[in-house]
Amino acid sequence: MNLLFYISSFVAVAATIMAISRFHPVHALLYLVVSFLAAAMIFLSLGTPFIAVLEVIVYAGAIIVLFIFVVMMLNLGKDTALQEKNWLRPKVWAGPSLLVLILLVEMIVLLLNAQNAIMHVAVVDPRKVSLSLFGEYIIALELVGFLLMAGIVGAAHIGKQKKKILHRFLKEETMARVEI
Amino acid sequence: MNELQFEALLPFMVLAAASMTVILLIAFRMSHTVIQVAAFLMACSVILAMWYVKDTLPQTIPPLFVVDGFGALFTGMIIFSMMAVGLFSYVYFEEREENPKEYYILLFLATLGAAVLTISTHFISLFIGLEVLSVSLYALIAYLRNRNNAVESGMKYLVLAAVSSAFLLFGMALIYMETGSMEFERIAQSIKESSSSVLFNMGFGIMIVAIGFKLALVPFHLWAADVYQGAPAPVTAFIATVSKIGVFAVLLRFALSVNLQQYPLMITIFSVIAMASMIVGNLLALRQQNIKRLMGYSSIAHFGYLLVAFLPGNAAGVEAASFYLLAYSITLLAVFGVVSVLSTRMKDAEELAVYKGLFHRQPILTAVLTISLLSLAGIPLTAGFIAKFFILASGVQQNLWLPVLVLVITSVMGLYYYLRVVSTLFAAPSSATIAAKSLHPFFSVSTYLALIVMMLLLCWLGIFPGRAVEGIREFLLIR
Repeated sequence: MNLLFYISSFVAVAATIMAISRFHPVHALLYLVVSFLAAAMIFLSLGTPFIAVLEVIVYAGAIIVLFIFVVMMLNLGKDTALQEKNWLRPKVWAGPSLLVLILLVEMIVLLLNAQNAIMHVAVVDPRKVSLSLFGEYIIALELVGFLLMAGIVGAAHIGKQKKKILHRFLKEETMARVEI
Repeated sequence: MNELQFEALLPFMVLAAASMTVILLIAFRMSHTVIQVAAFLMACSVILAMWYVKDTLPQTIPPLFVVDGFGALFTGMIIFSMMAVGLFSYVYFEEREENPKEYYILLFLATLGAAVLTISTHFISLFIGLEVLSVSLYALIAYLRNRNNAVESGMKYLVLAAVSSAFLLFGMALIYMETGSMEFERIAQSIKESSSSVLFNMGFGIMIVAIGFKLALVPFHLWAADVYQGAPAPVTAFIATVSKIGVFAVLLRFALSVNLQQYPLMITIFSVIAMASMIVGNLLALRQQNIKRLMGYSSIAHFGYLLVAFLPGNAAGVEAASFYLLAYSITLLAVFGVVSVLSTRMKDAEELAVYKGLFHRQPILTAVLTISLLSLAGIPLTAGFIAKFFILASGVQQNLWLPVLVLVITSVMGLYYYLRVVSTLFAAPSSATIAAKSLHPFFSVSTYLALIVMMLLLCWLGIFPGRAVEGIREFLLIR
């Protein structure tokens, strides 16, 4: 199990670094998916399968796919990659990295000096979660449904385009006129 | 959940079902008129449901809700305000927006959120109710999406409300860390056992940010004027009444159940916020030429007054606050009703110049507006005076001299700008404008009737407040 943990942690760190440093947004997002999957693997190796599954479903499955869709719709091409390249200069990332390095050193010192302690972990399985969601908190769950409905109705209204009524003959006519 | 608990939730379920019904009506391509009438009938049925379950109260629905007299009183105020807003909306949106139907879905959902707030006894239901309310409000504020102001103010509200929700969650998390529970009752128990808890104070202090944002209290008031100006007039009325009633109700319930007023620190924080709101709100309103912005600033001041009734934390304070909210919401609905009736197709009637010499063109509207402005200023024989009197009485009982003094002084300052508007109404008319003929005679007449009823209510509450106070007291005793 320990080996599994180290391998997946290594993958997670490598994928995250790649996600930050890629210039093309889609490449970066793909690495981000890998990073989330690796995090899920870490949870699995620690013995919490439910959280691992949630990580895959919610982060990798839903949120990142949404991100990728938006990026595809925006159709970011080479220009953006060039812009990113311009932004990612050492001057920009040196400061934050230095500060993070301090934190890293701190953490390593703490880890080296640590005594072994037993963590009290209460395992929450899917059954418990769903029982409390659909048991005592059922009304809250239904209200969340209404919350989503409010969001959808609002977005649909504000995003609605004005309907253009163009008869196809009229359209051809205007096109022809443009050609002339 | 047994049958009685189910019954107690009936009004809220009817409210939720109403939004679904509106969706179905839209799906069947019903006209705006049909939807308006159906929405009105469904709001009536919510009230009927409340009347029907009144005798079975109080009911607790653990762990999230308690439906008691307090909740019923505030829910009633919310539903009545929503009905008035819906009535004003017909003529307003019929003329301005090619697509006015989704408005009613959002209106019902926002009302549902506010109503859930009034009965919640748990942080989860508090948060979800608040989110239902604010997500619907984002869309309602930006509903006239062709106007630049509307989209801008919608964005402003969205960003600030999202930040304030984050604060709220963080505060809840801190309190949960300290007490190990999110139910108000159990939080109260566990902080009673451990006397001074830094984490609880921190947590509630952070929650005040979110609550202060929703109520537009002073350090968190920057959105108020812009959003009031940019939102459509009926929606502004909705923000000013329904959303604030809901948030204030849940604040009051939380404070009562954890005995917040026994902590000197909390009293100090709320006194400072109250005094700052009264002073800053009134000062900013003094030179305002735009009536919607003026109402925004005056609402900041009025919630400062309301906090003075919140400070004592006893039965008299709760009664005073309930009466104040009742009088204030009727007044604001009347003011924004007049604004939305006078609005033209392109622009809301917000400049003070529009109102110059209104008396010579529209005597009825002028009478309504005058009475409601006098009530806001707190002139005797109107509801505003009695409401302020109750607040002063409850403050003086507890020897809260400083907030009470500030209240009196700032009320006098407030008189200046309310009377400035009133004097504009009766000035000589600038030019003779021809009144446009109304396209919807039935709804125009009913809007006028509603405005006149509100005016009479304001006078009645001002002259004979006894019946209303008794009613409020009766409701508050059901617990």
